Amino acid sequence: MNASAAVYAVRWLIKDTFRQAMATRIFWIMLAVSGVFIVFCLSLDVSGGVDAPQPGDTELYKDNKPIVGPGAAARVTLLFGAMTFETGTRTQDHAVHFLEIMMATMVASYLGFLLTVLWTAGFLPEFLQPSNASVLFAKPVPRWTLLTGKYLGVVVFVAFQVSVFFGGTWFALGIKTGIWQTAYLIGIPLLVVNFAVIYSFAVLIAVLTRSTVACVFGCVLFWALCWGANYGHHFIYAAPDLAAGQSSIGPFTTFLAQAGYWMLPKPADMEWILQDALRSGDYLIAIANAPGFKQAIASGAVDKSMSVVTSIMFSVVMLVISSRHLSKTDY
Amino acid sequence: MPSSHVAEFDKVVKDYPTGIFGRHYLRALQGVSFTLEAGEVFGLLGPNRAGKTTLVKLLLSLCQPTVGNVTRLGKPASDRSTLSRIGYVHENHAFPRYLTATSLLEFYGALSLLPEPEVRARAGQLLEMVGLADRAHEPIARFSKGMVQRLGVAQAMINDPELLVLDEPSEGLDLAGRAMVHSLVAEQRKRGHTVLLVSHVLGEVEQICDRAAVIVGGKLVFLGKMTELRRDKSKGGTRPLEQALREIYDKPSAKPRSGHAVAAS
Repeated sequence: MNASAAVYAVRWLIKDTFRQAMATRIFWIMLAVSGVFIVFCLSLDVSGGVDAPQPGDTELYKDNKPIVGPGAAARVTLLFGAMTFETGTRTQDHAVHFLEIMMATMVASYLGFLLTVLWTAGFLPEFLQPSNASVLFAKPVPRWTLLTGKYLGVVVFVAFQVSVFFGGTWFALGIKTGIWQTAYLIGIPLLVVNFAVIYSFAVLIAVLTRSTVACVFGCVLFWALCWGANYGHHFIYAAPDLAAGQSSIGPFTTFLAQAGYWMLPKPADMEWILQDALRSGDYLIAIANAPGFKQAIASGAVDKSMSVVTSIMFSVVMLVISSRHLSKTDY
Repeated sequence: MPSSHVAEFDKVVKDYPTGIFGRHYLRALQGVSFTLEAGEVFGLLGPNRAGKTTLVKLLLSLCQPTVGNVTRLGKPASDRSTLSRIGYVHENHAFPRYLTATSLLEFYGALSLLPEPEVRARAGQLLEMVGLADRAHEPIARFSKGMVQRLGVAQAMINDPELLVLDEPSEGLDLAGRAMVHSLVAEQRKRGHTVLLVSHVLGEVEQICDRAAVIVGGKLVFLGKMTELRRDKSKGGTRPLEQALREIYDKPSAKPRSGHAVAAS
């Protein structure tokens, strides 16, 4: 099969995934969730504060110090004026920036990620059921193309939903406040890559078990494992500090931590990249300041581009293994 | 060397691994050899668990032979390009319930690598042929078993196949549906195309097949014309197909061995 035929087949598989998502209402549920946040953004307003940070100012959430300096802090009203609170930021720009960081990290990166895995985990097992797949696999398109096409279909679907969430909330905040922080949109590619990498493991589980339940639990547990391996690797750099100069981590443990880190996806690093791009350290206790991360970053043991590249390489390996296994499976 | 037959099974053995660790095998086929010729309707007969569906799967590259070779349309079964010239009606369809009849034909046609305009044109014609034109835009979830079966036949015809593989095509079909399948098979034969029919409906097999293979316990126990299969050698003349098959199945040499499992070598 030539490349243009493969692209043609993949295009139809992507289209099929959108049809599946619409028919199972997942498409509309995810749009509705994004819609709720877009309406939330349209319901808020910012007022007060100063035009620019004053000399000697600090932000409330930075090191938990109160604002100092002349003038009031920016205030945010929610739900069309029903609630009011101070973000603890000096300027309205910073107040909007603070809200965007909360939505990108707490809402999209954690809650959104888990819900997306839960809602999309059934797509591949259903696709691979013998009574459905036998007819598909009797077509001239190779199995690896069908599997990769369906995987790309899910990733494109998630990319669409992530774009609606980020684009919609960014636009709503922009038209309501007149403040347009384009850095917020960096969340779209970062979260899509993060999802694509973790979801590639769900592809392997789907090929091995054809079970939606196994895909959901396997994927969530794997995500937690990757967080542990990622953070565990960085923790090695903090261990001498925490143990008052006495490192209790042996060479074998260090080797395991290094091997796990380089072989597995790096969701904690992806979170750090997202937070760093959004400058969340200006407002919140960022992951970069957590024990382990701080030392690992300072020692140069973490590299943003290497984290992204090796995570993507993991997903490529998962897809190759899954495709090889599927090609040899009797249907 | 390329084969001139439409399809050829050459000393095919198929073992399925069994058990948790796959250390034992279930032998589904034991050295089966036969060919399918252009323009014939070929029946594949045998009791349950004889290995008929395994032969179909081997022909369609849904599984690989343990030993032996399978060729289709002049090329080895490993060459998937020939699958674009084959249509397949599965014995137990479970099409995605979210698709409509039209979108299913478009999707499966696209995966047969047909150009989009051709797929659209053929989808309409085929839905007309199988009597689903008035339900073209309804989700399959609302279809009865017979309607899904009719859609399965339309799906198999989307690429105008040279070899049509029908695994229990009459399952769930009413009289009109069966007549439609018979008419389709006759049309394929008239055009010089080949049909492989797997069916337990003996009247159907008797009526439309030119040749047949009988498989019992994974072994080929008869291969020849339908008239030969029905010939009563002891009394002369012909006998009903059911009686002929019963006699074949009851022969000690055709009995399936108890416990097909063999140790992995």
